[in-house]
Amino acid sequence: MAFRKKFTPRKKFCRFCADQELPLDYKRTDILRDFVTERGKIIARRITGTCAKHQRRLTNEIKRARQMALLFYTTVHSTDVKKRSSM
Amino acid sequence: MTKRSTIMANNYETLVLLSPELAEENRKGILDLLTSIVEREGGNMVETDDWGLRQLAYPVQKQTRGYYVRLVYDAPGNLVAELERNIRITDGIFKFMTVKLAA
Repeated sequence: MAFRKKFTPRKKFCRFCADQELPLDYKRTDILRDFVTERGKIIARRITGTCAKHQRRLTNEIKRARQMALLFYTTVHSTDVKKRSSM
Repeated sequence: MTKRSTIMANNYETLVLLSPELAEENRKGILDLLTSIVEREGGNMVETDDWGLRQLAYPVQKQTRGYYVRLVYDAPGNLVAELERNIRITDGIFKFMTVKLAA
């Protein structure tokens, strides 16, 4: 009981709803990178707080970016790792 | 082109990934070819956005760099198929993607 309120997590919000100007686009990998893990996995919306509507579109855009080699599928394939391992 | 298809023009964008080993004039040749196809098939070029040589997220055909060019155009839908057919034939294009832009 004493530890009931250990910490209160900050209220999550959808970044694309909050800022309508924020483009959701496969070309903007700088924004998409916030929504994938270091290993390239798409982060669940329960973690990021993105709304269902935007998460659906976000998933599509991330997959498009992967197809065009703007984002990697997984770190094993990434250019950084390939360079390091070939040395 | 029939009258109907010119009325039903959509806004498309095609991102092409070119080989970094292409010489400047070959690259220009490919882009001129694609632009001429768009114009010939009744499309209207809006923008050619040259991203230049970029590091790829993962190697494509053993290349870690690639040259991106984005083409924006208004065109009837059947032009896209013709353009993509030509892209597939052309050498030196690693990847491409056509996306319909929101009106």
